[in-house]
Amino acid sequence: MFNETVLKEINDIRVKYPDRRSALLPSLYIAQREFGWLSHEAMLCVSKTLNLPEAEVRGTASFYAMFKNKPVGRHVIQLCTNVSCMILGAEKLVDFIGNKYGVQPGGISQDGRFSLVIMECIGACGTAPAMLVDTDFYDSLTEKRIEEILEGYK
Amino acid sequence: MITLTINDKEITLEKPVTVLEAAKQAGIKIPTLCYHEAVKPFGGCRLCVVEVERMPRLQTACTLTAADGMIVRTESETISRVRRGILEFLLINHPLDCPYCDKAGECELQDLVKKYGPTVGRFKEEKRRVPESHKDQILARNMERCVVCTRCVRMCNDVQGASAISIMGRAGYSRMEPFSSASFNCEYCGNCLTVCPVGAILSRLYIHSFRPWQVDREVETVCSYCGVGCSLVVQVRDESIKRVIPKIGFGLNKGLLCSRGRFGYEYINSPDRLKTPLVRKNGKLEESTWSEALTIIADKLTKIKKADGGSAIAGIASPRCSNEDNYVFQKFMRMACGTNNIDSISRTGFAAAQKYFEDVLGQGITANIIEGLKNSETILVLGGDPTAINPILGLSIREAARRGAKIIVLGNAKGLERFKTLQLVPEVFKEADLLDALLVEISHAKGVRGEISAIDKGIRMLSEKSAGNKNVQGFDELKNILMSSPSTSIVLGMDIVQRTDGHRALFAIAGLTYLLEARLYLLSEKPNEQGLIDAGCVPDMLPGGRPLSIHDFKRKFEDLWNGAIPEDDGMTLFEIIEGARGNKIKALYLMGENPVFNLPGKFYIKESLKALDFLVVQDIFLTETAEIADVVLPALGWTEKTGTYTNLERRIQLQKKAVEVSHGMEDWRIISEVSNKMGYRMDYAESKDIMDEMAKVSPLYRDLTYREISYGNCLWPYLGEPLRGEISEVPEASYVANQYKEDFYLSVEKPLYHSGTLSRRSPALLKMYPEPALKVGAKSAEKLGLNEGDRVQFFTQTGSREAAVSIDESIKDNRVYFSNNFQGDGVYSLMTCNIDKVTKAPGIEGCEVKIKKL
Repeated sequence: MFNETVLKEINDIRVKYPDRRSALLPSLYIAQREFGWLSHEAMLCVSKTLNLPEAEVRGTASFYAMFKNKPVGRHVIQLCTNVSCMILGAEKLVDFIGNKYGVQPGGISQDGRFSLVIMECIGACGTAPAMLVDTDFYDSLTEKRIEEILEGYK
Repeated sequence: MITLTINDKEITLEKPVTVLEAAKQAGIKIPTLCYHEAVKPFGGCRLCVVEVERMPRLQTACTLTAADGMIVRTESETISRVRRGILEFLLINHPLDCPYCDKAGECELQDLVKKYGPTVGRFKEEKRRVPESHKDQILARNMERCVVCTRCVRMCNDVQGASAISIMGRAGYSRMEPFSSASFNCEYCGNCLTVCPVGAILSRLYIHSFRPWQVDREVETVCSYCGVGCSLVVQVRDESIKRVIPKIGFGLNKGLLCSRGRFGYEYINSPDRLKTPLVRKNGKLEESTWSEALTIIADKLTKIKKADGGSAIAGIASPRCSNEDNYVFQKFMRMACGTNNIDSISRTGFAAAQKYFEDVLGQGITANIIEGLKNSETILVLGGDPTAINPILGLSIREAARRGAKIIVLGNAKGLERFKTLQLVPEVFKEADLLDALLVEISHAKGVRGEISAIDKGIRMLSEKSAGNKNVQGFDELKNILMSSPSTSIVLGMDIVQRTDGHRALFAIAGLTYLLEARLYLLSEKPNEQGLIDAGCVPDMLPGGRPLSIHDFKRKFEDLWNGAIPEDDGMTLFEIIEGARGNKIKALYLMGENPVFNLPGKFYIKESLKALDFLVVQDIFLTETAEIADVVLPALGWTEKTGTYTNLERRIQLQKKAVEVSHGMEDWRIISEVSNKMGYRMDYAESKDIMDEMAKVSPLYRDLTYREISYGNCLWPYLGEPLRGEISEVPEASYVANQYKEDFYLSVEKPLYHSGTLSRRSPALLKMYPEPALKVGAKSAEKLGLNEGDRVQFFTQTGSREAAVSIDESIKDNRVYFSNNFQGDGVYSLMTCNIDKVTKAPGIEGCEVKIKKL
């Protein structure tokens, strides 16, 4: 179950809305922050805290790509391979990350350091290829630059 | 008035409805897939598109409200093209495995594609693969076939209120799933099964066993499980029940069913059924013939009657038997055996409470229509969980909550956890104190009503004593809600009645009903508790609720029945058992009842019954009581015989015969054969003859025929005359208030998936709830250091039992619950009882329990 601080945080969100359902998405973000991903346990906690049916919580969580439905590494790399990024070599970058850090798209590296998620467009076509590491944004990527950036995420 | 034109046909509407419904009224069929009359319209599948003049695009008929002057076309070249397109999209992922799918033949998608669909699909892509899930024991889930119409989810959320399933994932990967993604672990009402248009949700009870068109017959009948009496359809093939399906919009349940009604039918085909009469010879029950068994009974009863008088014979009737069975039974006891010692297990709750309320408030006070709950502004629920005891009645409470009604729960009610407005948790066994205080406060605020002097007097006395205890959290809010409520319903379960001071709670509830002008609903676990009272299976009343003590009534029945009815009131259930022990009762005739298992204090009751000279049991199974009987007779069960049942709202309904069986006889037929052998003639050829006689003698059934009953609208007061009596004083009795100081108290669990001992022979219900568990509240579990699944031993003064712990967060007080349904010793064997002097119901005692972790 959530600790007192988190419960209070969720309750503060809840009182902003006329019904409990509306507080579901922000509460799920909090649960994901706390648990790393939305495990059954995390969703049960949300369901209990908001007194919403468990199935509804999971139904909502499973709809959105940014809610993670399996465990993730300590840092999540979200790399775009959509048109502009692809033309500028994003697919090679996927291979590079795969070889260098041992993490395949949708997977998690052996040491649990990184997960790699292939994203659809993240709106940085002008400076493609682009990626997010956790919530930080990076563009104009090259293999060298990726190496430098990921050094900062242990 | 709204006038619109659909397909050149002018339609006039009384009230605004959707275009789809308007078309339906005019006999025009618009194809639909996501629309279902049991759930709210959704407009998801787009198959019901129609052209409306002066509207720019095609409109969905299911969501468009008909307006004056609308001109609608439901079929055109454009519409057909659109429908064909939609179906082509739906078939991209549909596996088209119709030859293998159980739904083929009653599949809506199949029908639609046949009519509108493309013959060839243009999509070359691979179909989505989702393996069929057999992880649930009851429902098979095949998400390849799913068309994501969300009918099941809307049914589960908006109608059933279980909210156990949801659409998971997105776009082409959307699928219906329960939270666990494997087993449903839900209420297993199966209403999702009713609404699924394709073969995505199927019942594993009959999967791959027959085709929908391969049934010999369909019989519309009434469920055999609880006091609601839902209408359902039984499909029969080769003289066995293939499945039970509801009929949408039909009956008081409007096509909704619960787990027991839908999946619990298999008990009737159980190999354990009694097939031949059994007679005790040299201490052992041995197979016998009907003529031998019936002769033994007649001879023995005649002998006892001659030697000790009729008062040494007693009978216990059954709330699982029909009105006809019960009527013949009491007539047999009164006329052939010459005794008024007739009672039933309903004495333990329903019959006692019903009699009390009718005495105090007038006959018919409990005859309220279940549907009416939906319109109540406030519903006070106490003494049990209606969604488990009478699930379909519980749905009306949930519906009211959704509409904004205030639901107040006193004690524990798991099924209303997400629907309650307020919950009060009085101290265990002190509910009457809270109710007394509430009654006094409300009477102070409302003043004297002055209609029934006995109640006014009773309230005044309570008020002078300043009785009760309002020191319960939420008391003031409860009072305020009740005071300001324009319409109140009280739903009463029997847990509160089954106390030695049960009559106190009954008086308080009667007082509240009176002051608040509330509607009163008594939860009824068995299908015919009301009917057996009306049929006269009570020691002090003749059929139709006519008191035996009024001479004119008695004489009228004597004239009609050709004989003399004994003068004095008979013994009640517990007096009969005491009588057997004290040798006052020598012979006991049990029709469809199992007192050894179903009454508190198993060993005491077994000993008492063993002291009898002669015990006859008539049942469909060899019950714990039948095992000690001298003669056991095989009766017929549900769907094997025709008969009427009276539900808790006092609606008489017809249960029809659906299958032909070679073993057993109807209960009434067995009894009339014995009666004939004893010299009192009973000539009934079929159950209809008995109803004809009842219609003649009982004012409740006046002029009632099977034909009329089969329409399902025979509600109190039928065609008879209500008999209102006024009492001058509310019966009261002194009692010794027990000082309870234990940490935990044992209570009887009333599980949603079980009912009495019938359900233990239903494989499906056993899969839902396979073995008894000790239900413990979260707080109690913490106090005891227990986790889910831990084995414990629990002790009362009378005995002990081992079980696994199941933690139930809806239990808020220090009760622990254990069921009385499974094979082996039920919870009643750990309890004792003490009679409430007023209602004669058992006050269940000896509930103090100690729990030890193993």
